[in-house]
Order: sequence, then C-alpha cells, then structure tokens
Amino acid sequence: MNAYLELRQISKFFGSFVANDKIDLAVKKGTIHAIIGENGAGKSTLMNVLSGIYRPDEGDIFINGKAAHFQNPTAASRAGIGMVHQEFMLFPELSVLENIIMGYEQTRVPGIISKQKSRAAVDKICKQYNFNVPLDAKAGVLPVAMLQQVEIVKVLYHGADIIIFDEPTSVLTPQGIEGLFRAFRALTEKGKTIIFITHKLQEVLAVADAITVLKDGKVTFNTTPAETDEKELARMMVGRDVLLNAVKTERKPGETALSVENLTVLGENGEAKVKSARFSVRAGEIVGIAGIAGSGESELIAALFGLAPAASGSITLNGKHIEKLSPRERRCEGIGYIPQDRNAEGSNRTSPIWENCMMGYHVAHSSKNKIFIDRKDIYGFTNSVVSEYNVKTGSIFSNVSDLSGGNVQKMIVGREFMQDNKLLIIEDPTRGIDIGAIEFIWNKIEELAASGVAILMVSHELNEVMEVSDRILVMNSGKLYDAGKYGELTEEQIGVLMMGGQKE
Amino acid sequence: MKKLPIQSKNFIYEAVKYLAALSAALLLGVLIIKLQGQDVAAAGKAVLFGAFGNISRLGNTIRWVTPCLMTGIAAAVSFRSGIWNMGIGGQLYMGAFAATAVALYIPLPQTVAPIVCLIAAGAAGMAFALIPALLKRFLGVSELITTLMFNYIATLLTTYFTKLVNGISANNNSKAMATPLIDDRYRLTTLIPKTNASTGIFIAIFFVVLMYLVYKYTIMGYEMRQVGSNIRFARAGGVRTNRMYLMIFLLSGFIAGLAGGIEILGVYGKFTANFASNIGWDGIMIATIAANSPIATGFVGILWGALKSGSLYMEALTETNRLTVEVIQAAFVLFVTIDYRGFINRLRENRNRNAAKAVKGA
Repeated sequence: MNAYLELRQISKFFGSFVANDKIDLAVKKGTIHAIIGENGAGKSTLMNVLSGIYRPDEGDIFINGKAAHFQNPTAASRAGIGMVHQEFMLFPELSVLENIIMGYEQTRVPGIISKQKSRAAVDKICKQYNFNVPLDAKAGVLPVAMLQQVEIVKVLYHGADIIIFDEPTSVLTPQGIEGLFRAFRALTEKGKTIIFITHKLQEVLAVADAITVLKDGKVTFNTTPAETDEKELARMMVGRDVLLNAVKTERKPGETALSVENLTVLGENGEAKVKSARFSVRAGEIVGIAGIAGSGESELIAALFGLAPAASGSITLNGKHIEKLSPRERRCEGIGYIPQDRNAEGSNRTSPIWENCMMGYHVAHSSKNKIFIDRKDIYGFTNSVVSEYNVKTGSIFSNVSDLSGGNVQKMIVGREFMQDNKLLIIEDPTRGIDIGAIEFIWNKIEELAASGVAILMVSHELNEVMEVSDRILVMNSGKLYDAGKYGELTEEQIGVLMMGGQKE
Repeated sequence: MKKLPIQSKNFIYEAVKYLAALSAALLLGVLIIKLQGQDVAAAGKAVLFGAFGNISRLGNTIRWVTPCLMTGIAAAVSFRSGIWNMGIGGQLYMGAFAATAVALYIPLPQTVAPIVCLIAAGAAGMAFALIPALLKRFLGVSELITTLMFNYIATLLTTYFTKLVNGISANNNSKAMATPLIDDRYRLTTLIPKTNASTGIFIAIFFVVLMYLVYKYTIMGYEMRQVGSNIRFARAGGVRTNRMYLMIFLLSGFIAGLAGGIEILGVYGKFTANFASNIGWDGIMIATIAANSPIATGFVGILWGALKSGSLYMEALTETNRLTVEVIQAAFVLFVTIDYRGFINRLRENRNRNAAKAVKGA
C-alpha cells in the first residue's frame, strides 16, 4: 500500500494535556477518508496540524513519500492541502469571484489584478469539476449549500490536492448533503483526495472509502464501510454500547401551554425574518422545529424568550399574554431557555459553576431574598444540578472553562430543567457534544415532558428533531410548515419542506 | 470554603507577577535616575520619608490616597462591568465645581453643609456621566470616545463657570482662574492639623469596602460582574442589562463627582480651573493594575497616593524630578498588564519543538 498522505507518530501537547498521541494515518490518493470521534477526541487538533495552523510537537507528515514541515497555513496550502472550514470564511460584501481569488490573484502587470485572467482560471476549475457557482453574485446573498461550493472551488483554485472537510454536513439539508457527496465523488474521480471529519455515522458509512476512529487523542480503529456498521463505530468512539434512538414513552399531552398567533419578527435591516408564525405547544408535548441555519429559527426563539421584540402578533403562556415581557419577566412566568451557543450565551466561562447555575434561577426560583446571595440555597441547587445531570467536576467552585463541552452543556440543561418551569425553549441541545451526553440529554427531555412540561426545541440536526419530537414543524424563509407527528414523514420528505417544497 | 489547587496556583502566579512588575519598574527608575547622574539612594530615601516620615508627611499621604481611592474605585466599578468610562476626570471636575457652587451660593447650617455639597458633587458627576450613557444606550455611540471627549468639555466648561463666578470682565486677571474661598463651615474636618488629610479618606475607604461587599454578597453585585464578563449570558439569564448598564455608569460618575467634591471641601477650599489634570487618569491606572477588584484597588490606591506624596517631597529635597516617579508608575502599569502566562506558554512550546527536533536529528 502506498499512501499519498501519511502521518507518522504525530503528537501534539497543550501543556500537560495530550491532544494527539502518536497518531499514524495513511490516506490513499483519490479516496474519501473519514475521521470520526467524539468531541475532544483530537480530530480538530489533528486537522489543524495537517493544515499548518498548529505545528506538531512530535512526528512527521509525508506527502507522496516526501517529508513536509509546515511553518504556517500558507505553507500547507502550497503543499496542496486545503481546508473547508465549518464556518465559512467568506466576505459577504464581495463577489464570489473576488472571494475565490483573494490572496491568489492573477496579474498581467505585477501589482494589478487581472479580473479576466482570474476569471478564466476559476472558470476552468468550475468546468473541470462540474461546479456551477454564480461568480458575480455577492457571497452574502447566497444560500449555505452554495457557499460551501464556493469554498470548495476556492481551495481547488489554491491548488489543493488533499481537501479537508470539517463537519461539512451540519449546515446542509438532506438534499444538500446528497449534492455534497456527489461533489466528493466527482473530486475523487479526478484524483483529488478527501479527508472528511464528522460525527454522523450514517454519512460515513454512505460515502467514505476508509474510516479512522479517534478516541482520547489516539487512533483506536481503522476500517472500511464494508467491514463495519453503525453500532460498532459508535462503540469504538464512545467505548461502550450506545442507544442511537431516543426512548419515547406514551404521554397524554394536556392543555395548550404556549400559543403563538401571527408572530412576525424583523431582522436587523427591517426585513421580516419570521412571517406570521402560528403554532402551539401543549403541556407534556415536545414540539420540534427543523430548519437550516438562517431560515428564521433563531429570530423566532429570540422573540419567544423576549431577547428580540415581536413586530406584531401575540404570544400567550397558559392564556396570559407575554409578548411584551422582558426575558426576566418571562423567566418569572415559568419559561426556561437553553441557548444555541453554550459558550457565548449559555454560560460564563470565567465564572465558577455555582455562579453559572445561579443565573436565571436567582431571578425566578431562588429564595425570596432579592438583595443578598442566598449561598445555602444556591449551593444546594448547584449540587443537585451537578449530581442529577452528571456534570463531571471536582468542585462547584471550579470555573466552567475547566469543564469539557459536554459537561458544560449538561450543566446548562440541568440548570434550566431543574427549575420547575412550565415551558422550555431549547436550541440545539446537543450541538457538538459526544454521543453519551446526547443520549443522556434526550432522555432528560423525554422525562421532563412526561412530567407535564411543554417543550419547544429547535435543532439544526434533523435527526434530533425527528428522534425527539412528538410533533414536527419545519421552518423555511421565515415561514412555519407542519411536518406531521413523530415518524409520519421520512427524512427526505422533511428535507423537501426545509427547502421550500410542498408536502405531497 | 475549600481552597482548590488551581486557585492557589493562580494566587501565586498573580503575586509573583505583581512583585516582578514592581521590581522591573523600580529597576527602570533606578536606571533613569542614574542616567541623569543623580543619587538613587537619596531619592529613594526622600520618597519614603516623604510618604511616611512623620505625622505631617503621613497626613499629606492620606490627602493623596483619598482621591486615588475614589477615582480608582470609580474606574473599577465601570471597567468591571465592561463599561469604558474614561471620563472620570471630567466627572470629577463637574463634581468639584458643583460642590464649590453650592458652598458659594446656598447658605446652609454647619451640620448639613458638607453633606449637601458632597451630594451635589456626586449628582453633578452622575449627570455628566448620564449624557454618554444615554448616547450609548439609544444611539450606540461608543462611551470610550464620548467620555474621553467629555473630559475636554468638563475642563473648559468649569473654566468658563469660574470666570462667570468672578464676573466675565475680570477675564484677564490671573486671579479669575479660581473662585473665592468657600466658608469654613462647608469644609470637611481636618484629621491631622496643618495637613490636608480630611475625613474624605473615610468616605473613600467606605466606597472601597462597600464595593467589595456588594460584589461578594449581593445579587446586584453578582449581576454587575456577570454583565461585565458575558453580557449575552446575563441577558439570557434574565438580568436587566440596559438598566444595569445605566446604573453602573451613573454609579461610576457619582463616585467620580464625589471625588471632586472631596478635593474642594477637604483640600483646596476653592475651585481653580484645571486643578486636577491627572487624578482621573490615576484612577484608571489604579483600576487597571488592580484588575478591577475593590480590595486590590484599595492597596494600589494607597501605594499610588504614597508615591505621589513621597515624590512631591523628593522633588523639593533632591535634584531628582517628580516625573521620574510618574514614569515608574506608568511602567508598573505596563509590566502588570502583560500576559506573561501566554508568553511563557509560547516559549515553552518553542522549546518543546526544538527539543523534539534535536532528538530527531540525533
């Protein structure tokens, strides 16, 4: 076997923490090589080593048999390694062409960009690989799936032979994912090599030629889709058997808790981001909203929790109008909120765990003392969150920055779930955390619904919405569509709705 | 409460950092004095004696510690919550003039006179902070810029007011740059006779201790800290961030204004145009060194005041210029704010890499 890209004994340390531990990896030319692992398994570190962002502390990289040492990302790019990041790095105000040629402009006279020459070079690549990107459109107006294609063309234009994709499917609809995989195959047919980082096992089995599993910074398993299955991969990633389905119990939903009528929310530039939304959530019911990022789902949640004003329409909780209330007042009415971004909004990394657990609780549910911090009460609450939700920490006085992502998420979920709320608004409850923690949080959502709490969940993982929800809504361009009850529609049918098609 | 190893490690790091920064700044000072061909030991002795040498020197130190604590805590309160109130100097001028104006124009019985003056001073500082706060809140104008600019408005406006007090026609008279002396009954009690140490120091200590207690024990202090380190988290948690922002800004302005009032009632007895060109900036430096912690602000404020009092004495006694001490102070700020930990980590990473390379080469 002659590998095109080979990593030998790569190690990377952060202080005493070993992020990558003597990793060996061999990738053959013209293949799709998937790298999977839980969060914190060292995938991102390894890819950052490969793309020149980090320098390895030990070990060597060989490309085509030749040792390669990258001093910086530009050196890696020159050696033919390109990376398509999870967050697109494009300038919204510039045209697609300008975005692609940025930093690698073609010139006739030195120092002066030749648009024609650049365009010709980009056109050639688009033709060769069958990409159809609108070169003159502003990047800011294009849909996410198209932006991803622009990113791919960009790395090809930079001369990449090995393209690393970091969680590329998390922003796509099922149909968009199909399109991406077609592009993968077209690229490998032309001799390009693809490294595909993901945590979605079905995708790996569907598209990869070879699979490498990372766990705790080490390679634990090398296999191919033909030789393995989802269960085995999950076990290799987590180290134990995991359920990949949520346990759903029979529940009898009660009275309508949340009722939304004709809710319209405006974006920053005054355009309607949510258009006359109308739906309700009953006590003991889990309603899931699916939608790709930017379809108005974050604006809807912001308006429901009072973080953004509603332009018109009404929101009622158990019959009481709450659309004019502040987040503080809504918390007092019994609404809990789990924000999408656990570091920017869900927690304060520089504060100890007890101060994080106190946030929100101190407004709505703590003792009547509103002047002094009731330490006994707060510590008690924090301790129960930590023990009930398995937050792994030495002490409630350690900072949140010492916790892993999954533990931070469990802390946030625990804080909101244990406050005796009537309605919970949840955004992406399991984003970027390991399978074990996902399973745990799904079960807790189910438990809470069984105890009669109304739950509204928005998730960018379609799988999650389909697994957890009793009723599914789909959001597309600010409008809500009914996508039936649990298990009524297939993933493809929901995918069509997410892209603005009609239910058949 | 159980002490964690991480916290004590942090404490040692912080302590070493402060000691190292102070030694480095002093070393720089020694170098500067040497370069000028002056006597380092004499200068050092003069500073020390000037700060603590006898009871009247001590009184003078207390006089300078007072505004250092006040402006330091005014800055710390706003910085801690992520509000860049650079206008402490301006608010101090407004407060100082308000106290003078009340004392000059409103006849009051002795029992309440200083208190009314001080409240007026605080209110004036607060009112002057209100404008940038509202500009930020409703128009999104950066308070960093507005408060900075408002310092000029404050100095020029109070200069103009001073001229109004004396009558505009007295324009060219150099005495016109100061108001007449206020009546003694408006003034703060002197602590140590024949010095400017006044009861103002108790007000300053009160605010330092008060802010410590507020941050540590109250819900409001908790919310103020959370707003400072992650405002989106605080908002999602139900903190009324807009109200909080306004309140903190006004509190900072109030303390700054009060500092101005204490300067007039405790020290000068009249308002002189441009009387306190640097005190506001001292507060900002003190808060920066103290990393916005009230207790640390207390200690740094005392050090700052002692240096100020000592350096004034040194200047009178030796050839060394007082500015040397100010350079040392500024260097201290600089050395303390360096991110040593990041620097050390980078060095360590480089060394590891070189070691790894060396092993491979062998």
